[in-house]
Amino acid sequence: MSAVAERQIKSDAHKESFWRRNGQYLLLAPGVFWMLLFLVVPLIMMVYVSFWTQTTFAINSELTTKSWVTFFASETYFGALIRTLRIWLIVLALTFVIGYPTALFIGQFVRNKTVQTALLVTCVIPFWTSFLIRVLAWRPMLGKEGAINIVLQKFGLIAEPIEVLLFTELSVVIGMLQIYVVFMVGPIAFMLARIDESLLEAARDLGADAFTIFRKIIFPLSLPGVVVGAIFVSVMVLGEFATSAALSGRKVNLLGNIIVTQVGSLKWAFAAVIGVVLTAVMAIVITGLLRVVNLRKEL
Amino acid sequence: MMVMSGLEKSYDGRPAIADFSLDVQDDEYLTILGPSGSGKSTLLRLIAGLDRLDSGSITLNGEAITGKPSHLRGLGFVQQTYALFPHMSVRDNVSFGLRYRLVDPVQDEHEVARRCDAMLELVGLSGLGDRMVGQISGGQKQRVSLARTLVTEPKICLLDEPLGALDANLRERMTIELRHIRATLGVTFMHVTGNEAEALTMGDRLIVLDQGRAIQVDTPDRLFTRPATVAVAKLVNNYNILPGRVEGGGFQHGDSRLALPEPAQVAGYYVIRFDQVAIGGIGEEIASGMASMEAAFIASEFMGSRVIYFFRRPDGGVFEVERHLSRDDPEDYAQGETCALSWPLSQVLLYGGDGRLLDMPAAEGRLQ
Repeated sequence: MSAVAERQIKSDAHKESFWRRNGQYLLLAPGVFWMLLFLVVPLIMMVYVSFWTQTTFAINSELTTKSWVTFFASETYFGALIRTLRIWLIVLALTFVIGYPTALFIGQFVRNKTVQTALLVTCVIPFWTSFLIRVLAWRPMLGKEGAINIVLQKFGLIAEPIEVLLFTELSVVIGMLQIYVVFMVGPIAFMLARIDESLLEAARDLGADAFTIFRKIIFPLSLPGVVVGAIFVSVMVLGEFATSAALSGRKVNLLGNIIVTQVGSLKWAFAAVIGVVLTAVMAIVITGLLRVVNLRKEL
Repeated sequence: MMVMSGLEKSYDGRPAIADFSLDVQDDEYLTILGPSGSGKSTLLRLIAGLDRLDSGSITLNGEAITGKPSHLRGLGFVQQTYALFPHMSVRDNVSFGLRYRLVDPVQDEHEVARRCDAMLELVGLSGLGDRMVGQISGGQKQRVSLARTLVTEPKICLLDEPLGALDANLRERMTIELRHIRATLGVTFMHVTGNEAEALTMGDRLIVLDQGRAIQVDTPDRLFTRPATVAVAKLVNNYNILPGRVEGGGFQHGDSRLALPEPAQVAGYYVIRFDQVAIGGIGEEIASGMASMEAAFIASEFMGSRVIYFFRRPDGGVFEVERHLSRDDPEDYAQGETCALSWPLSQVLLYGGDGRLLDMPAAEGRLQ
């Protein structure tokens, strides 16, 4: 056999083994293509556009940091960032405070799997109506002449209607809480339901009382659920604009609302700045939450 | 000392534990043997307070603990599944009881560490304290689980099939170690198992549980040589149990008539231990004082130091013969070959139709 032919065979073998070795990655191709086109490219574009020059009626690709300076210098815009973070923290804390006991009940005190599932399904029943309707339904509830005020007045508990209920930060928080608390309950209940009963029996047998068992066994083992729930809630609340638009009477402007307004008035560069800021905030929050527990190990 | 009297527990109307009474001494190794579903795990859970008794009472050193919650009973319970806390290191697992018990917790971390280390050394896990429980083997988990319970110095340690999940080699080593650990600490062990060999080796006393009742409480050797009922004999798994009836001075089992040790008794079961039987050719003379039966050879099983021969009884059941190779050489038989099985009459145990061992005063001394 000639050396050339031999080389040819070798390279054929090499070619074949290359496809055999890496063929499975072809499975990823559609997904990767999709994500590149509709996630990675837009993200890069967003960062790029945030440095474009914005004039009142037009935008050109001359690079400038003017939009960035405006964002951090302006009381309105930087304030919106602070407000977004504050509302996020309040909603996150309250979803945890309300969600954890609920999840604890479903995951630990309901031992029947069917009932557990039924209760979790019950938690998502509100989702059978659309998001916007659920948000808007708070208006007749919380308004000056809304259900709560009417009932309280009928019982003579208050003389004047409580005005602070609607079109304030409070109403935004109430609305978000109702929508997002279930995202906290689900993952936590799931983790709690997975805790082996024998662990709790062992702890009890070793002399620990119920509260110690909760503190040392149940809560640490449910932490992955808390983190997953917190990530869900955080990502959704940080990007929120509909609830605050509908329930704050445009008084509570979150970063999401500002993006909507800026895009509406064709201020693309400025909207991009806020988009980058929001994405960065979410990345930091998620990274921070993942630091709390090693999800890879726990799940 | 723990006194249990009249313990009753049923699930959905089915009794799991029925009329169970027992005195547990200090410093003894008690094994509870029973087939699966006999209520042995339930019994431990009732004692530990993990399940509620329907009726009956338990007193520990004179103090009634029947109504006390589990964490105030001062008993240790080693779970079958080990139940180690997965988010803690071995050391934190072992220290859990000392640190967090409601009664008399150990506040001083040095003291916790000292006792934890001493216990880890006793169970042979020195140096593994900082591993997470996911990083240790099954046998080591078993030891951690044991150490975690023993370090709290329970008055009685309940072990639920502690060796069930270990492989045979490890199981054998752990039986020796468990006895050693128990003797070192002087704590009473109540060890539940479904394995008759384990129960016989481990216990100072052995309780046989069947359908929630204690059917025999005895030392292992007495329990082995004189099972109180047919059920115990079956569980000990070393006896051929031949049903039949006494007829014309012999025991009628299927078509064969077997000689009786003592004439004219009413018996429902004729029981002979595997290793008391000799295998001979057909037509060989049977010595006096021996009984014999013909059976067809099925197969043999080589067990290392002994061989088990399986024969087909005339009534279709299986008859087992055990031959220790230290006493006899193994022999081969052709499949289907009919042999004469014989055994000394002095070794025969007779049980009544209700399954109880018939009182044979003469039998006491002559059994080996």
